[in-house]
Amino acid sequence: MAVVEARNIYKRYGDVQVLSDVSVSVREGEVVAVIGPSGSGKSTLLRCLNQLTRIDSGSIEVCGETMVHTDESGICKYAEKAKLHEIQLKTGLVFQNFQLFPHFSVLKNIMDAPVQVLKLPEEEVRSKAIEILGKLDLVDKQDVYPYQLSGGQAQRVSIARALALSPAVLFFDEPTSALDPELTIEILKVMKDLAKEKMTMMVVTHEMAFAQSVADRIVFMDKGVVIEEGSPQKIFTSPDSERVKQFLQYFSE
Amino acid sequence: MDFSQMMRPMLQGTWISLEIFFLTILLAMPLGLFVAFGRMSKIKIISVPIRFYQLLMRGTPLILQLMFVFFVPYYIFGTPFKSRFTAAIVAFVLNYAAYFAEIYRGGIESIDQGQYEAAKVLGYSKAQTYLRIIIPQVVKRILPPMGNEFMTLVKDTALAQTIGVVELYRNATNITSRTSSIAPLIVAGIIYFVLNFVVEKFFLRAEKKLDYYQ
Repeated sequence: MAVVEARNIYKRYGDVQVLSDVSVSVREGEVVAVIGPSGSGKSTLLRCLNQLTRIDSGSIEVCGETMVHTDESGICKYAEKAKLHEIQLKTGLVFQNFQLFPHFSVLKNIMDAPVQVLKLPEEEVRSKAIEILGKLDLVDKQDVYPYQLSGGQAQRVSIARALALSPAVLFFDEPTSALDPELTIEILKVMKDLAKEKMTMMVVTHEMAFAQSVADRIVFMDKGVVIEEGSPQKIFTSPDSERVKQFLQYFSE
Repeated sequence: MDFSQMMRPMLQGTWISLEIFFLTILLAMPLGLFVAFGRMSKIKIISVPIRFYQLLMRGTPLILQLMFVFFVPYYIFGTPFKSRFTAAIVAFVLNYAAYFAEIYRGGIESIDQGQYEAAKVLGYSKAQTYLRIIIPQVVKRILPPMGNEFMTLVKDTALAQTIGVVELYRNATNITSRTSSIAPLIVAGIIYFVLNFVVEKFFLRAEKKLDYYQ
């Protein structure tokens, strides 16, 4: 079953066509890596799938629920507010620069949304939060504030925060781009573990080694278009497109 | 005239000054929030008049504004403001709300857009985003400039005497002209200083209290 199904997405900012007829899908338990040069529209695609920005045309479904749909006459219509909110909670997003809430402790960062948004009982949320923190090796950090964390720890907390809402799919927007190589490995390991647990993920990344070894499928984008899509083996060893070959030659050495 | 005889009207005046101070704070702080949001509105019919109001309040002397608020009703309704004190409060609130609004706006706009996005992705409503995520961070950032405004207001209360409100400064000058002694002026200076010493302490405390995060 497709957790995310996006068809024929168009998005422009002013004069710039950022996404042009982009279709992607993520199946349950699958890890999809979106790669490509900077400015290719990868992050914009994630933002569209996460409702941080609205598309001009196309359709997006999450867990079979229609977020936005474009009919034959070209009218692009979003679902009503309550439905959008429901869909929002099925998707989690991990930001490049973490975006933890600085005035909340680590534990509160993780607990606040489940308690305030989902209205779950605090004790239940707490035990789940502590369980997640344990899994991400952060138990001793629960009472600390974000400024006291290293980049790698902060990113793990932000992953924990997203997981606490039990999303059906987790999006990552260049999760290691703000981290040094050592911390990058730390985060990639967490993501590998999530993949092993069959967490459905879509990862925009420049970490080719990660994409190659962890992703089930690679989507290559350039200039707002999906150029090629396929298994890591196919994309990294015998891509059809010249552009993909050219892009990846820097990594294969 | 002995010291206690002088202090009685001085303390009464101080009380009036404090009333002006607290009423202005109490009313201008929430009003400023509305002004700030109006100013940030994308709807031009809201944001443009509000900008003009702020320009007027910040661009003309408070002492003139006091006079206007007090006398203008006379030209429109034929009677001046019944209470000089109320007129002073109206003028102070209108003036300070304009300044507070700019401080709020600066604070709100300094918060990373990513904080709003993180809140949205986690499912927070607009109201929850402001109340739980944005405003608490804004409060910390605006404490120093708000401290400035509070201290200025303590001293600005003296302007109320221009429309006949008998507050600390007016009482001090009255006694001085009656007794040809500058002692009341020195005492007034000390009282203003002590009041602002308390204001400064209050803000230091508040900053310390929010020191637990960065």
